[in-house]
Amino acid sequence: MKEISQILSYTLPVLYLAVLFIYYLIFSGKNKTLENKTTLFLFLLLSFHSLEIVLRHVSLHTIPLSSAHDAWSFLAYSILFVYMIIEMSLNNRGSGLFILTLAFFFELISSFYTNWEPETNELLRNPTFAIHASMAITGYTALSLSAVYALMYLLQNRNIKEHRLGNLYTQLPPLMYLESMSIRSVIIGIILLGIGVLLGHLQAQKLIGDFWPNDLKVIITDVIWILYVAGYIISKIQHWNGKKMAWLSVSGFMILIIGGGLIIYFSNSFHRFF
Amino acid sequence: MKEFIPVGLFGISHHTASVEIREKAALSEVGQKEAIQEITNSFRIDGCFILSTCNRTEVYISSEYVQVELQLIRKWMDTAGQLNCFTDDKITYEKHGADAVEHFFRVISGLDSQIIGERQITGQVRDSYETSHKMNCTDNVLNRLFNFGMQVKRKVYNDTFLSDGTVSVSFAGVELARKIFSDLTDKEVLLIGAGKTAELAAYHFKEKSVRQINVANRTLSKAKKMAKELKGRAFQLNELSEALQQADIVISATSGKSFLLDNTIIKPVSKKRRHKPLFLIDLAIPRDINPEVNHIEGIYLYNLDDLHSIIKVNLEKRKLEIPKAMVIVREYIEEFRQWISTYAISTVIKRLKEHLEIIRIRELERFRKKLPSENIKEIDGLTQSIINKLLRQHIKLLKKNKGNPEQYQQQLDLIQNLYKPDND
Repeated sequence: MKEISQILSYTLPVLYLAVLFIYYLIFSGKNKTLENKTTLFLFLLLSFHSLEIVLRHVSLHTIPLSSAHDAWSFLAYSILFVYMIIEMSLNNRGSGLFILTLAFFFELISSFYTNWEPETNELLRNPTFAIHASMAITGYTALSLSAVYALMYLLQNRNIKEHRLGNLYTQLPPLMYLESMSIRSVIIGIILLGIGVLLGHLQAQKLIGDFWPNDLKVIITDVIWILYVAGYIISKIQHWNGKKMAWLSVSGFMILIIGGGLIIYFSNSFHRFF
Repeated sequence: MKEFIPVGLFGISHHTASVEIREKAALSEVGQKEAIQEITNSFRIDGCFILSTCNRTEVYISSEYVQVELQLIRKWMDTAGQLNCFTDDKITYEKHGADAVEHFFRVISGLDSQIIGERQITGQVRDSYETSHKMNCTDNVLNRLFNFGMQVKRKVYNDTFLSDGTVSVSFAGVELARKIFSDLTDKEVLLIGAGKTAELAAYHFKEKSVRQINVANRTLSKAKKMAKELKGRAFQLNELSEALQQADIVISATSGKSFLLDNTIIKPVSKKRRHKPLFLIDLAIPRDINPEVNHIEGIYLYNLDDLHSIIKVNLEKRKLEIPKAMVIVREYIEEFRQWISTYAISTVIKRLKEHLEIIRIRELERFRKKLPSENIKEIDGLTQSIINKLLRQHIKLLKKNKGNPEQYQQQLDLIQNLYKPDND
């Protein structure tokens, strides 16, 4: 079973890339016939990824999301899942190329951290850990999506403002839709990440008796969450326009990515307390 | 050897005739019905329908004598309508068989339209066909041709970009507004100027159910009159700042000689609106809005030239899609040809069956008095059984040679000739 799980893990980034290529063909206006088949491709990819997650944890006898590989891969998985719902409900594929690029990027990162030895940390054996981790990762997903929508907003704003009405303009969704999706995703991200962070702290308090554990990942996540909350409150008070809000979201995402990179660079384990 | 396709058409269109000739040749709905009835009753045809729009008048028929009958109908059309265009080969085109099928598929999918890819033509073809169908003047061949045509249209729309992007100036404004605001139902439009241009542009936005359309004009009475029609508010030009604060879309089309809107007006308005998006469409020549306002955050300005360039680009894109659409058209011509081939067998067999049945009944009647009355039922069954066995042999032979088109067609022609109604 371990071998099958390994094959699936290494195949996943390739499959993400293949689906991304299909979206590129649609986006570039080279193939319109593929438009009606995208949901099927997304569903197949999602099913394949679900199978990979299940097999990996059955073969390693670990609980889900206990390693850096799991976290990055689940981030890609949840982005894919949320995007599929958005596409099915709005019947718009314009954002697919951008959002799936992000999902592919995360899946690719995850493949660099593939570890076939199960994590042994005390905290990770607790079954409520999965709830904390999935809430936090779903929060990260929402914040990542917000940044992608914000980026698309900036591109579309430039297109309309500078009368660049080419293929990019045609394929991207309307400006106000992008703005509202970006803001909504930020709010959802702040709430979910907030719950995830709080659950993590409560768990740490219960298991190691320390509400603020000395863990780089915890510190960075707390800082990122506070920055997002502060940024959002300031933007509301100052009545920032769509463009400023979009830059805020993109900047927040950059901090998020740098934070994630720092965690992985400095810690040998996904949750290693100093 | 290809199957004979019993379809033909003749007509005039924007490709061949001037608008004056097209106007004369156009038929009203009543005129179409009268012509269909007359053609069906007076000529050797199995089905007919007439497509008459501002850009074309075309008569489609299905008949075994397509070429001869088309010539006769053309003459009749000219005589009945007191015209001389349908007999003029320079103006009127005539197509038969696969060429006629291709032409129909091109027309229904917008490939033959003046504005390539326009969708209105599909509805017009459907209406024309349905008019004739309701009068029982279409046969299986024309019914099938129409069904295939609708499939071609659907595939062309779905698989190519032939009908994508707007190609009308006033609608280009609406499309741009939708790319900014997404939903227009809660948006407010402000018209500056109460002339025809502004009115036409307002009409497109009204179609998209915008929340309100207000009018600002130099002469308040004119603004009030138009605002009343559009169920909006009227403003004078010196109240523009107030009107702009509520608006999301501004259409300016006055005949003024200088800029009506510039940074001095738009900047404070934009600040008060907290840089909420404001889409400005300047349809006036000379322009009403100073282009410098486009640099202000949240302001999106488009003038007439910008809208024209959008249309030009869209038309170019549509032209590039023609080869892709033609591949689909050719694919369906082949499918139609195959259907005709199968249909021809069933028609021949039906005719054969009818022919033999007539002979059987006639002969049975002739000998009825000489035959024993108690055995009539058995004799009836026996003759039916003989005919069925004979028919089975014919069907078997036709089906056996279906893979060999030449031999198959020869046999089909032979059977068709043998059992023609006049050979009885």
